[in-house]
Amino acid sequence: MEFMSKIFSLAIAAILVKNFVLMRFLGLCPYIGVSKKLDSALGMGMAVIFVMTMASTFTWLIQSYLLIPLQIEFLQTIAFILTIASLVQLVEMIIQKTAPALYKALGVYLPLITTNCAVLGVALLNINEKLNFIEAILNGFFAGLGFTLVLILMAGIREKLDKAEMPKAMKGLPIAMIIAGCMALAFQGFAGLKF
Amino acid sequence: MKYYIRLGFVLLVIAVISSGILAYVNSITKPIIDENKRREKEEARKEVLPQATSFDSLTFLNGETAYIALDRDKIVGYTFVASLYGYSSEVKTMVGLDTLFHITRIKIIEQQETPGLGANCSKSEFQEQFSGKDKTEMQVDKDGGSIASITGATITTRTIASSIRSGMEIMEKKIAETDLQTGEENER
Amino acid sequence: MSMIKEFSKGLIKENPVFIMALGLCPTLAVTTSVQNAIGMGIAATFVLVCSNVIISLIKNFIPTKIRIPSYIVVIASFVTIVDLVMHAYFPMLHKNLGLFIPLIVVNCIILGRAEAFAGKNNVIKSLADGVGMGFGFTLALIVIGGIREIIGAGQFLGYNVLPLSYKPVLAAILSPGAFLVMGLLMGLMKLLKK
Repeated sequence: MEFMSKIFSLAIAAILVKNFVLMRFLGLCPYIGVSKKLDSALGMGMAVIFVMTMASTFTWLIQSYLLIPLQIEFLQTIAFILTIASLVQLVEMIIQKTAPALYKALGVYLPLITTNCAVLGVALLNINEKLNFIEAILNGFFAGLGFTLVLILMAGIREKLDKAEMPKAMKGLPIAMIIAGCMALAFQGFAGLKF
Repeated sequence: MKYYIRLGFVLLVIAVISSGILAYVNSITKPIIDENKRREKEEARKEVLPQATSFDSLTFLNGETAYIALDRDKIVGYTFVASLYGYSSEVKTMVGLDTLFHITRIKIIEQQETPGLGANCSKSEFQEQFSGKDKTEMQVDKDGGSIASITGATITTRTIASSIRSGMEIMEKKIAETDLQTGEENER
Repeated sequence: MSMIKEFSKGLIKENPVFIMALGLCPTLAVTTSVQNAIGMGIAATFVLVCSNVIISLIKNFIPTKIRIPSYIVVIASFVTIVDLVMHAYFPMLHKNLGLFIPLIVVNCIILGRAEAFAGKNNVIKSLADGVGMGFGFTLALIVIGGIREIIGAGQFLGYNVLPLSYKPVLAAILSPGAFLVMGLLMGLMKLLKK
């Protein structure tokens, strides 16, 4: 029972209270860059959830069984980013071979994920917050879910926005940032939600 | 095939060179970082119990050493580090206690709370209100204690108060066990 | 002459933050105060300049296939150096910037410049490009940090600049303020460009 409530509070924190994009400012580039169309946002979101979960798993193992025993924690940044880069490459190859349809949907987003700071961010946060193995994996998954949630919300708004009238200078990126600000304001309302 | 071996080799060379450079930089900076951490804690201890001239280690608490503060051989109090996860980070507080287990002063030594809200716990106005209080008062005023909450950061305040309270309980138990006979020391 | 051109383009015309919308995460996350903004700007500029120089030096030895991983290793090494040195000599700043120091690795400006510029140009030009882009980034951080600190705390670099009767608008320091200030500034830049 205690385990369930722990999982639940992890989920609430990662998805709403400390949403990676709006509260922690992680993964903003794809959030702004890939939110013009709803279906591409969905594709990107799925790819990110997958990679974040995998990355949390592997970086946790590397930190606990390689970096700490060998006392080379100063190589953490290099080790993590290389893990993520090779993971993304591997995922790309596997999907391409086994599920061509999925590859068509996700393929273009996969290389972009290496430089998505939300992925490296969740890997580092798992270590900083001293999560255990299971918690780290779940945290990666929930963080990806939180990312996907706001990405899809944003894409939905921006599709409608194309038809809206506004000062020319505000079109495109500027108005997207303003909308992100409004969403952040709304998400601020979750502050203090704890189980 | 030969081509791929070359690829791997080039990457390996780059990785080895950079690890070597980093190991060298690390060997220079690590002692400084450790020394900074040690000195920072030492200064925090002196700040919460300024009358102490030396500190004797007592026990381990929250991964940090708790100390008995001495003025020559006389026990003047105790220090420990209270630590709990607040709103967005681990909040660590250096706490000074006098021999009657009243707080002398506290000092927030580590926090990454929200700037403008929870981060205000590092302000001295907030920290000063802890002085002179005992563990029964270590609760936010909303919950019936006597700690005034930081505006918009009840969670941070609650974390600090309860981390200090539980630390004080452990310290009291530990000190009773170790039989320091504070009364006798004071009479001398 | 061309060096000055490579340097100055990063400041306004191709400003990495306002015009190209790169490196948004650290831009918004650390600009709660001017001090943090300057610290992050200098750290990122150092990494950008060093990696630009090294990459333009070794570009001919690196097969195209493993270009990106090699660049990442070079960048990550410099980031780790900054991380360690800052931790040792500027512990307060290191605490304030926290997670966003290792995250300089995935700052799209740095890999972006490596790929788009340093991998194709000579050392001198890459150096100028790195310095210019770094300055442009720092400039943007200071502008955003300044606006947020003044509105959100009534201070600039920790000194009170507004009368004490001014009631700080906390939202400017919290995350919504970051997005709103950024959006309005981007709009302003677009307006001025025309």
